[in-house]
Amino acid sequence: MQQQEIQRFLKNYFQANGCEIIEEENGYMTVQLTIELDKELMNRPFYWHYLEKTGGVPNPMKLTFITNQEAAPEHIKGEVIHFGSPRLHQIFQSTKNLAAYIRLYENHRFTSGQQVPLKPWLGLNVRISYQCDRKRDVFKSLGLQLINGQIVENFHDRLLNLQLTPKIPDYSFTLSPLIMPKSGVSRIKNQLVREIEQEDDSWAVEARKRWHKDLQLLEHFYEEIGDDEKGETYGNEKKALQDQYEPNVKISIVNGGLFYLTDRAV
Amino acid sequence: MTVEIQFDTSWADGFFQKIKDDGPWGNWDLYKLAIEVEKHTVIDDFEGLQAPKHLPQLTPLPHQLEVAKRVVEDMNGKAILADEVGLGKTIEAGLILKEYMIRGLVKKALILVPASLVTQWANELTSKFYIPAVAQKKSYVWEQCDVVVSSIDTAKRNPHRDIIFQQDYDLIIIDEAHKLKNNKTKNYEFVQSLKKKFCLLLTATPIQNRISEIFNLVSLLKPGHLGNESAFYEKYKKDSRSLDDNEHLKQLVNKVMIRNRRADTGIEWTGRHVETVPIEFSKEEQQLYDAISELRSEDNWMATSAFSIMTLQREACSSREAVFVTLKNMLAKQETPSPAYEQQIQTLAEKVQAVQKNSKAEKALELIRNIDDKVIIFTEYRATQMYLQWFLKQNGITSVPFRGGFKRGKKDWMRELFQKHAQVLIATEAGGEGINLQFCHHIINFDLPWNPMRLEQRIGRVHRLGQEKDVHIYNFATKGTVEEHVLKLLHEKISLFEKVVGELDDILSKLEFGNFEDYLIDIFGHSTSEGEMKIKMDNLASMIQFAEEMKGSETNAAAGNSTIS
Repeated sequence: MQQQEIQRFLKNYFQANGCEIIEEENGYMTVQLTIELDKELMNRPFYWHYLEKTGGVPNPMKLTFITNQEAAPEHIKGEVIHFGSPRLHQIFQSTKNLAAYIRLYENHRFTSGQQVPLKPWLGLNVRISYQCDRKRDVFKSLGLQLINGQIVENFHDRLLNLQLTPKIPDYSFTLSPLIMPKSGVSRIKNQLVREIEQEDDSWAVEARKRWHKDLQLLEHFYEEIGDDEKGETYGNEKKALQDQYEPNVKISIVNGGLFYLTDRAV
Repeated sequence: MTVEIQFDTSWADGFFQKIKDDGPWGNWDLYKLAIEVEKHTVIDDFEGLQAPKHLPQLTPLPHQLEVAKRVVEDMNGKAILADEVGLGKTIEAGLILKEYMIRGLVKKALILVPASLVTQWANELTSKFYIPAVAQKKSYVWEQCDVVVSSIDTAKRNPHRDIIFQQDYDLIIIDEAHKLKNNKTKNYEFVQSLKKKFCLLLTATPIQNRISEIFNLVSLLKPGHLGNESAFYEKYKKDSRSLDDNEHLKQLVNKVMIRNRRADTGIEWTGRHVETVPIEFSKEEQQLYDAISELRSEDNWMATSAFSIMTLQREACSSREAVFVTLKNMLAKQETPSPAYEQQIQTLAEKVQAVQKNSKAEKALELIRNIDDKVIIFTEYRATQMYLQWFLKQNGITSVPFRGGFKRGKKDWMRELFQKHAQVLIATEAGGEGINLQFCHHIINFDLPWNPMRLEQRIGRVHRLGQEKDVHIYNFATKGTVEEHVLKLLHEKISLFEKVVGELDDILSKLEFGNFEDYLIDIFGHSTSEGEMKIKMDNLASMIQFAEEMKGSETNAAAGNSTIS
């Protein structure tokens, strides 16, 4: 993400959360937080607790973000945001927290008198992390139709082409799922695990080889020391090598939810 | 083979609750934004760095990227970066810090550097890497700021020390880390006690194949990795240099240290022009020098040390002021000086008084006027430094002094004064380290240090990456003195000045002898005749040439650029 992209992202984030952008120039922007976002980002629970107890007038903060120190005028004071800065990480995290679960309906705009059936889909966006002393992530978006069990890939991209709305549109009705959400999640999980198990695992084999080699080197420096005298540091070092090298795969869900879609949508 | 696959169930638990409660559900715009974030933060390959993609205005050199990649991928963020002087270790460290911050693995970082470089580090991290690094000025920054740059001398003192110990640093960067090779020092103990997940030690001086240095530096990075200290030394003999023979140690060092040599990087360097400027003593200067040299035959002086005589000789080649200060100190050091001793000092002091002009200073003035551009004058002696400042001022040349002992703010200020307002910077030895002066490209070595490494550091301040013009080096050497001999040795016999910066420390570290300076003291202090001196110097020169040839053949054979040799 380059600095202009960061500024665009911040603007989208605050606007999506109903905050007013008070000032926006090349290299910096000032935003008026809402009460909700102040609580989300500013970490001042005592202030809000006090205010709620005393019934005072809430005064959420204004924040100024500088995305380019060279472009922003010198008198502008604010937080310098860069890709990698803790504040941006916090906002990334908050974006995911605030939008972890969703339920949307396709706004199909059929105007004929006929009622349109909307089929239920479970959509999951997942991150698969392959970890050893190195790390690789794969982003996947899967959709499971909760009536016939069909699974499609790139589900999120398909959604981006649709008109979606949080309220059920006129002339529509939803079909009840035959597959319950709980078993839907495990169907997707099983599908992912099956795929991963069939993948090339040479990365893990190589990692174990490196682990073993490092372990041998460590042992070499301790070979003349009796087991009782090796002490805590030896154990720590051994554990550190395990943490560093032991291969594993983590599947985590970024966000997801229920989508009611027409037949022609997918 | 089976790899454990973990499935995070926390999302699903929340999901079922939402269904049960019929909401509240998230907002579609934010949902899409979250996916965008995700796509920006996934690391889609086991290999490769993320940071460069986010730093479009920075073009790191290939070897710098390679270093950052190796530290992150192979070394788990614990490394000694030992590139030769001037290859951009700051950029490498910045890339690594940025990389870890992007991956969310580093939040708090502490950067300990020489006082004179604090501001420069903070500026570079901010402007080149968009990392809001703060130069430590007030004690509260330790807690309030995530990335702090400080000098180790400030950090190790209270109240800072106690506050720092309470912080959990994810990454610690230490510049000029060769100062930590002795584990008995306060600095070592301080760095050792810091909590750290990742740690980078930056040094231009490589581990000099000395087992104790390896033990100490590796123990900072990986405590306990080498077993306990006594067992380790028993096995490898404290000061032995058997590293070359020990495959395990070699393997270990390659795991924690990266060293790029200039020759490996393929970077084009600006030219270097070296000129010896011979100086003729005036009659009085010659008399002073001779008087000092004659002391050698006097018994009581010999007993004191050949070293003092040599110091005086060298000072006499620099300025009468330098000689005078030393004489004064010598007298003050004796509690009850014998009358003969006092008499000798007195005689010398009179010779000092008799000197009316400084031949070198006059030559320097002439040269500075001809150059008509910024010049750095290096001298070993503070007294000479002060004299030169006065002398140049008398002759209408603006100059600023620079010393290692200056506080950080003063160093920055002097550097800036030099850049913007003064023609000459007069630096003593201690000031040679840790300041970048690429905007200048003329160096006068008013007198020569006997330690070639220090000479190299002097040149390294100016002849480094970022220098756009050819660098001119003027070496002053007074005829018929020790100085002339030393220069001959450095210049003609081992062609020090033609070597690129950093090459020499490789060569010297290859030799089985210790301190170069000790050799010179032996040669000049203990030789009984010109002939003996000449032979000893030739011996030294051929040893160095031998080491150089060894190095040459090795470089051809070596495949990688990181093997220590």
